Amino acid sequence: MEKVCRNWPKEAFSKDLINPNSWKEFEENAKLAAAEVYRLPDMAAAKEKLIELLKSLEVKSILAVGGDEYPALDKLYKDLAAEGNAIHTEKFDIAESANTADLGISTAEFGIGETGSLCVDNYSYEARVTSMMPPVNLVFMNADYTTTDVDTAFDVISKVFDKGYMGFVTGPSRTADIERVLSLGVHGPSRLIIFAMDSGMERSDD
Amino acid sequence: MSRDLHNEIKTKLKDDIMQGALTKFAEQYPGARLKSYENVGDGSQEAIDELRDDLRDMKLRTVDSIEKYADEFQKSVEARGGVVYRAKDGDDLKEYLIKIANENGVKRIVKSKSMATEEIHLNHDLEEKGFHVRETDLGEWMLAVAGQKPSHMVMPAIHLNRQQCAKFFSQELKEEIPSDIPFMIQTARRVLREEFRAADMGITGANFGVAENGAIGLVTNEGNARLVTTLPRIHVVIIGYEKLIPKVKDIAKIVRLLPRNGTCQRMTSYMTMIDGPTPVIYKKDGEWVEENRKQYVILLDNGRLKAAHDPKMRQAFQCVRCASCLNVCPIWTLVGGHVYGHIYSGGIGAILTGLLGKGSMEAFGQFSDLCIGCRKCVSICPGKVPIPDLIDELRHRNVKEKGLAFPEKMAFQHILTNRKLFHTLLRTASLAQKPVQSGKFIRHLPLFFAHLTEGRSLPAVSDKPFRDRMAELSKNNPKNPVKRVAFFSGCNLDFVFPDTAENVVKVLQDLNMEVVFPEAQSCCGKPAIGMGDRDTGKVLAKQNIEAFEKAGADVIVCACPTCAETLEKTYVEMFAEDSKWRTRVELFAAKIREFTSFVAEEYEKQGRLKETEGAEKVTYHDSCHMRRGLNVWKEPRALLKAAKDVDFVEMHNPDKCCGMAGAFGMRYAEISLPMLKEKLNNVKNTGASTVAVACPACMMQIGGGLDQDLPDVKVKHIADILAERL
Ligand code: SF4
Ligand code: SF4
Repeated sequence: MEKVCRNWPKEAFSKDLINPNSWKEFEENAKLAAAEVYRLPDMAAAKEKLIELLKSLEVKSILAVGGDEYPALDKLYKDLAAEGNAIHTEKFDIAESANTADLGISTAEFGIGETGSLCVDNYSYEARVTSMMPPVNLVFMNADYTTTDVDTAFDVISKVFDKGYMGFVTGPSRTADIERVLSLGVHGPSRLIIFAMDSGMERSDD
Repeated sequence: MSRDLHNEIKTKLKDDIMQGALTKFAEQYPGARLKSYENVGDGSQEAIDELRDDLRDMKLRTVDSIEKYADEFQKSVEARGGVVYRAKDGDDLKEYLIKIANENGVKRIVKSKSMATEEIHLNHDLEEKGFHVRETDLGEWMLAVAGQKPSHMVMPAIHLNRQQCAKFFSQELKEEIPSDIPFMIQTARRVLREEFRAADMGITGANFGVAENGAIGLVTNEGNARLVTTLPRIHVVIIGYEKLIPKVKDIAKIVRLLPRNGTCQRMTSYMTMIDGPTPVIYKKDGEWVEENRKQYVILLDNGRLKAAHDPKMRQAFQCVRCASCLNVCPIWTLVGGHVYGHIYSGGIGAILTGLLGKGSMEAFGQFSDLCIGCRKCVSICPGKVPIPDLIDELRHRNVKEKGLAFPEKMAFQHILTNRKLFHTLLRTASLAQKPVQSGKFIRHLPLFFAHLTEGRSLPAVSDKPFRDRMAELSKNNPKNPVKRVAFFSGCNLDFVFPDTAENVVKVLQDLNMEVVFPEAQSCCGKPAIGMGDRDTGKVLAKQNIEAFEKAGADVIVCACPTCAETLEKTYVEMFAEDSKWRTRVELFAAKIREFTSFVAEEYEKQGRLKETEGAEKVTYHDSCHMRRGLNVWKEPRALLKAAKDVDFVEMHNPDKCCGMAGAFGMRYAEISLPMLKEKLNNVKNTGASTVAVACPACMMQIGGGLDQDLPDVKVKHIADILAERL
């Protein structure tokens, strides 16, 4: 899958920029922006939580990206498929099912404490479609990867952003265009669920 | 075509739906904005100002070398495979766009919000050429369906309620849509999803364009911009030169402020950066294919480059289009966006309308009055755009080009500059008003002037102006004064409130100061300067400077903040390029002191600023020019808190304009009066028996309103309150 940067931790992160202590502020601000945040110890816990969600949301069709980068996600997707879920991970498949899937699973590079934003690398078409088209977007991130503020986030980004498509996602899609009443899910997802992982986000190229 | 602005305003004031929405919004916005800034540094004004300074400086540095950054941006986009076109104006842009649309076999187009495309009426022309064009921002889509114009840059449909929205939905979809907001949102999602999927071309604006790597940025909440730039196989970016910034790191300077000021969010839902062509997957002859999306970036000039090279107007480049200047504007929050220019509304809208496109000056001239210079917008604008100053500059240019209307020309150039004639007329007025005067006020005016006194009494011109009283007062000057003070009274204190002017002198004399009143002083010139007539302003400035030079005083005290600001700041600006007068003007300006801040400083030295308790409830109204023009607001409060027998109470929104704003309050009574009513209501809720002011114009406005609505409450200048206690 094409990305702005193949390996963000290796090429863009450093101790002075990434500060795991910003987690609390990140969580607070993400929730303030109506994101749902779960901090999870490992992939087993993530899978359990995910299966719960699939049931409660009555999910029939899933789009999923990031398996090529994170072996544990790849395994999760394969397990889900083996258990009988319709899960699309191939790009043309994703394009075909984009408008009918009820859940998109994608990944974020890091979070930003000051705003509760996820920094997402969406160079590939399938990553964008997965995170935008279905009514619910579930995002995996490494819980240790947060920056304190937006300035630091751009210190990170400026190291690697030379070409492509990326940005911040902060809570679900929203509008207040009618009577200034906040309504979620106007064009993008109405729910943004963050799985912040303490482990399991090891990369295939590490 | 000439507009009937008064009539348009009246219609808007009667639109209860819009009025309800705007009032509620104006009340909620300031607090919500501040809350979003709570986690910036220590959340203080200083911390916010630091970000604002950074943004302004970055934007100014960029505009200084705008061509260089435009070249760099173009090179960056081209190096990544995008195509760049520089359009000199709307026609040029449209011609190019239609050409590429035809070349690429485009039939259907989706758009995400872009002010630049609205500025050049792009949709209209594309539709005329047979393209199917859809706005996808919910508010813009509804307005397009309704055939209405946006009334706000960020909340385009704020003037509508849910029932009106449902009607437009029903019209467009040819089915009955109930006025249930979630249902309408889901319906829009369904309908617009099909538009995205079927579109060949997506058109977006840009919140910024980065020179070093060619990335453009889109800051949105709905996410429509992400779909516009993901699903169609062609992406066209239309970006004004003012959006260019040098580096990726500079984006932080914009996005830390824009969402907070624009929508009171720490970040919008989506902040998207697109750099060069990116992959797209679509069905070609029934087969899925992946290729690189075609990307065209059109840099729009339409007057921007000229503004960039204009030493004053280049400051408009500091604007990031957050629209927060509208949110706090006492005029916009009353009349809404439709009475401004065709696209851009509010104070910044007046400026952009005046700078961009064909016939811009004419369009500006039609509604350039709708800024009262209260500076509220300047105090919150992320880019610190000096909005009222730029409007003044444009008014000045407009007058220079077209001349003043006859009555103003007569008043300014033949009367105001001739002090003797002007003062004789004022004295005559004091006689002429007798038949309609009762007590200190004029309550009714005959016939077609009657609307001027509707809801407000006008103060009467005094029988004996202050200038005729000074000789008597001079006798009380101290023998061994600590300072020699020259008093600049201004017209209002001289002719309308001479008792207050006397009190100013008494308070200064009590400080053991000698007070002199140079007889040859004239109007400060603000009425003419405010209407764009700077030539008259300069004539008056020279008269005043000469008069005060002869007085040989240590300081020059003004008890009118508008005069003080004009003498201290505007004079210096007006003569900045005049080598002959500049030094004299600067010496004069350096001596100007506003009355309350001057007295507070002296009282402090004498230990007279201790807070006391008292029985008389007094509240204080901040004059706009005082609070934001001179940054004086602590001192008058300190004086009141220390005044004997005074129990000081703060009112709600003490610094919101009372609606007078010089001649504006007379010319636009329909706007001025609702502002006055709000002020009176805030006064009433304090239970105070006195409203203190430090500005004679506010005194006139509030006094006139109290006279009709709250006759038991008095308005007093701080000089009056201090003099009563000597
Ligand atoms: S002038 Fe300032 S407050 Fe107004 S839209 Fe521009 S940046 Fe925002
Ligand atoms: S100075 Fe006051 S009246 Fe003028 S645009 Fe700004 S807020 Fe509005």
